[in-house]
Amino acid sequence: MIGAARRRPGKLNWSEQMMKRSMILAVLAASATATPAFSQSVDGTVDITGSVADRCLFTTPSATLPLGELARSGTDTNAGRLDESKVDGESRTLVGWCNGTAATMSVEAFALTNSDFTSPAPNGFDRVINFTATADANSESATDTSVTAGAGSAVNVGLFTGNVVVTLSESATPGGGLLVAGDYDGQVVVTLTPNVSFNQPAA
Amino acid sequence: MMRHFALLAVLAAAPIGVANAQDGSDQETVPISGTVAGICVLGPPSQTAVDLGQMINMSGPDAGRIAPLAAQEVTLPDSFCNFAGTHISVSADALLADDSTTVQPGFARAVNFTSTVTNWATGDATVTTAATAGGAMPTAEASGGTQPLPRIADLELTLNNFTVPSNLRLVAGAYAGSVTITLGPAAAPEGN
Repeated sequence: MIGAARRRPGKLNWSEQMMKRSMILAVLAASATATPAFSQSVDGTVDITGSVADRCLFTTPSATLPLGELARSGTDTNAGRLDESKVDGESRTLVGWCNGTAATMSVEAFALTNSDFTSPAPNGFDRVINFTATADANSESATDTSVTAGAGSAVNVGLFTGNVVVTLSESATPGGGLLVAGDYDGQVVVTLTPNVSFNQPAA
Repeated sequence: MMRHFALLAVLAAAPIGVANAQDGSDQETVPISGTVAGICVLGPPSQTAVDLGQMINMSGPDAGRIAPLAAQEVTLPDSFCNFAGTHISVSADALLADDSTTVQPGFARAVNFTSTVTNWATGDATVTTAATAGGAMPTAEASGGTQPLPRIADLELTLNNFTVPSNLRLVAGAYAGSVTITLGPAAAPEGN
C-alpha cells in the first residue's frame, strides 16, 4: 500500500488526502513501534550455582597386618619375651583423599591382646603388647599409643589424595614379662575428617 | 528486631553446615594380629653333675655297704611354661657300676634313689628307682600334678633315699646314673 500511494500523480481529493494521511500515520505508527527492535538489545541471565561438600574417603578399604610369632626364640633369659623386631617398623598402606583444606587425620591404636587367654596374666607374664601407631599422609603424621585409651591428636592434612601409611613402633609389654601363648589381636583405626572449609559457595 | 532475626538465622545455619561436613568423614581399620607359640623352658641347673663321692662305709660292721648319703639339691631357676595345663615329668636311672659283668652273690652294682621335683604344681613329681642288684630295670618315671596357669618358677630337684637292693655290698668301680626332667603339656594336643 505504501508503494501504491507514492505512484499516484496530480492533486489529490479529500478522501484521497485522508487516505494518504491515514497511510502516513499508519507508516509513522508502524515505524514508531518497529524502531526499538532494531536499535537496542536486552539480556536475560540464568545464574547457575552448585557446591561440593567437604568429604574424605578411603579408596583402599582394607589392609591386614599379620605379625607372626611375637615371642623370642632360644633358651636364654629373653626366651619367651616380646620380640620387638616383629612389631616395630611394620607398616601397611591405605589410600584415600580429602577435598577440603580443613581436613584432619587422627589415629587410634588398640593394643595386641591375647584372645585365647583372657584371665589376668600370672606373675611374670604379660598378655598385652602395646605399641605406637603413626599414620603419614600429605607429609603430616598423626600418632597414638595403645597405652592410653582414645585417639591421638588430630593433624591437619588438608586437600590430598594418595597414600596413608600406617607404621607401628615402640612395642612393649606392660611388665616386660613372658608372653602368654595364644593368638594376639589389635588394630589401628585411622579417621579422616573433612571438617569445614572456608569460602564455600552458598548452598 | 530485624537484626535479631538475621543473627538467629546465621546461628541456626552454622550447625547444619558442620553436620553435613562431618558426614563426609571416613574411617579405616588396620587389623593387626600375631601369635605366641606355647613353649616351656627349663632354667639352667645350678649344677650340671652331682658327685656323691665315696658311697660305701669304709669300715665297721657295714663296711662295703652303702653309707648314709646326704640329699642333693639342684635348682633350675626361672623355668617357665607360657601356657596352661602343664606338668613336670621326671625320669631317673639308678646309679649302676661301670663293670657290667654279673655280680657275685652278696654284691650289688646298683644304687637306687628317689628324685623329687617341687614348686611347679600341686602334686610334686617324684619317682624312686627300683633297679635289681644286678642292675636290671634301672629306669623309673613319674609325673607331677597339672599346673592350670602359665607359670614361671624355680624348680627344685632333690635326690635322696639312696639305697642298695637288699643292702648288699657294692662292687667297686665308678657308678653313674641320671635324672631327666621334662616340663611340658600335661596332655598331647588334639590331633597329635
